Amino acid sequence: MSWTVAGMGAVASVGNTVEDVFAALCAGRSGLRELGGFDRSKFAAQTAYEIDDRPGPGLDVPRRATRWLVRAVEEALRDAGLPEDLRDVPVLIGTGLRELRSVELWWGRGTPLDAGDLHFGTALRDRFGATNTHTFANACSASLYALALGTDLLAAETADTVVVAGVDALTESMFGLVERVHRVPPDRVRPFDRDRRGVLMGEGAAAVVLRRWLPPHGRSHGTVRAVGLNCDAHHVTAPHVDSIAAAIRQAHDLAGVKPYDIDLVMLHGTGTLRNDEAEAAAVAAVFDADVDRPLMTAIKSMTGHTSGASGLLALIVALRSLATGRVPPTLGLDNPVEEATLFRFAPGDTPGGTTGAASGDAPGGTTGAASGDVPGRPLGGFTGGLSLAQVNAFGFGGLNAVAIAEVEPCGP
Amino acid sequence: MRTVITGVGLAVPGVDRPADLLGRPGPAAEPVDVGARLGRGGLRYKDRATLLGRCAGLDALTGAGLLDGGELRVPADRCGVVVSSNFGNLDTVCRTVDTIAAEAASAVSPMDLPNASSNIIASTIAIEHGLRGPNLTVCNGITSGLDAVHWAASLVAAGRAEAMLVVGVEADTGPVRRLLGTDRAFDGAVALVVEPTAAARVRGARIRAGLGGYARRADAAACLTALAGAGGRWEPAPAGAALLALPGAADRPPTGALTRWRGSSGALGVLACAASVGWTDLGGPGPLCAVVADDGADAAAALTVRAPAVSW
Repeated sequence: MSWTVAGMGAVASVGNTVEDVFAALCAGRSGLRELGGFDRSKFAAQTAYEIDDRPGPGLDVPRRATRWLVRAVEEALRDAGLPEDLRDVPVLIGTGLRELRSVELWWGRGTPLDAGDLHFGTALRDRFGATNTHTFANACSASLYALALGTDLLAAETADTVVVAGVDALTESMFGLVERVHRVPPDRVRPFDRDRRGVLMGEGAAAVVLRRWLPPHGRSHGTVRAVGLNCDAHHVTAPHVDSIAAAIRQAHDLAGVKPYDIDLVMLHGTGTLRNDEAEAAAVAAVFDADVDRPLMTAIKSMTGHTSGASGLLALIVALRSLATGRVPPTLGLDNPVEEATLFRFAPGDTPGGTTGAASGDAPGGTTGAASGDVPGRPLGGFTGGLSLAQVNAFGFGGLNAVAIAEVEPCGP
Repeated sequence: MRTVITGVGLAVPGVDRPADLLGRPGPAAEPVDVGARLGRGGLRYKDRATLLGRCAGLDALTGAGLLDGGELRVPADRCGVVVSSNFGNLDTVCRTVDTIAAEAASAVSPMDLPNASSNIIASTIAIEHGLRGPNLTVCNGITSGLDAVHWAASLVAAGRAEAMLVVGVEADTGPVRRLLGTDRAFDGAVALVVEPTAAARVRGARIRAGLGGYARRADAAACLTALAGAGGRWEPAPAGAALLALPGAADRPPTGALTRWRGSSGALGVLACAASVGWTDLGGPGPLCAVVADDGADAAAALTVRAPAVSW
């Protein structure tokens, strides 16, 4: 079975729409900026990948995550040619930190808070009339967990259309606690690089309209083939290689594909010391002899770690990449960790583009061949356009979710 | 696929059995002593909601026969966890911003890092018992608990798990009291084990109740319309949470049986299902419809629960 992605919407530090975000990422533009809403004197790290929509420096307002979520859903509905009426449509939202930033502002600064603002259904009912809404707090794999549950509703024929979304805004508590475990504060996110220092958070929202069948002349960006889910049940923060590998294998099995079939891997790649190594080891174990075949990239190098939004954001970028053949580079990746030395990281736009590779941020550089051609390494049987993508998302508590997405080579 | 409840766990002051949930409140009961129930191990650095959730989860898994002498009786990767909690980690979040405001980020406790993420209860319970199936945290307002039971059944029906532990939990902490404007908030957890009927039969597990249809709609009336079946329409729902019978039922749970649990937020829907089990434990006839609604909420939800009749 596969499910049509009929509409997409996105908001991130690098852009306000799917096309803006995709163009920025392909061009190797980072959303890194000085911390906007916190008292910077309290933190060692001074930068993050925030959405620049606050009223002024150091001024913060509640419910920013809710606003981005609504915008992403609006864009996805418009894109799918559907009315802004979700009375009969399930809406599944994955988030790591919900509206906890609004809780912090209420607790620390006295801005008003209603308990109903903690979950996103309240705003979605106001804006779209939606009542079958579900907020899942599933850490950094939340939006792919939501995607899996959305596909289950379609498979069970409980619904013909579902909206799946992901959203996260920085919280001071998480930013401060993450900083506390870094030896040296990171100045940017450098996934899989030997000199990476750790993760910096990012903000964003993503939404897709999924349909069980496509009406005549309906829009399609491609399909979701399957989503695999599991849990390490190992440690509250440290990842587990075997369990991550099991989640990837589960996704492949559910989709009926082999590692050899995968053309593009959207790595979770947070720039965290242990996570990147664990992910690289798991991917290497599953792909085995084919590990140098698919193109790979880690967009958190430009968006920061958008937590619960990140999986769906990566899925949207993957579908655009499959459709256009353009794959964003992994900014700041100069010297991959040992576990990832065989990975074929996408160099970014090739001649005609002006990008990551040109600015020296991607390994190898470009040759003038098709996007992703790294000199000195055989293409391993890669022969044509990109068709199948794997999207990784792994979260605290060992919450693993892996999606397989497809754009038919002939194009829908 | 039919799904059934095979285990119930309770960590609610003054409540020993599921049927107690239907009774009138007694004198103010002592808070749940999580240390006495869990032993000394693993209490440090965990917020109260996580510990309450562990208490109820342990009892539900044991009651369902899935845990036997600490050994899991189903494949670990086929058993998952769904937690419902709206306010579970607010205390960690608020304490951390207080520390940052008074001092700096360098003064916060790194042990609080996992607790700043709202999925900490579900991941802690998964680690405790080695449950490697899907792990989901539902933070969905007043309907959250019923939604959690629904998603557990949905994960089982989709073939993603053979058994799911569902935990609804809230803790009485300073931030929750301030947010709800109360001097004493609900402090407890309720857990259920949900699995396919066939699997429960193969295991020889005692089936406590069967799960039926689910709806989340604008209000209680819309949910009940959606769930009206061949057995007819449900009797109208009073305000707030309720256990409804079909009109003409020989016997029915006391009206207002769930009223005193109104403030239990993320635990409420799971508690309502456990109360249904209490009803069938007493030999009450089914089916029942658990309805969760409240003034000003964005939606209501309802779930039908059947007595463990022969047909299951």
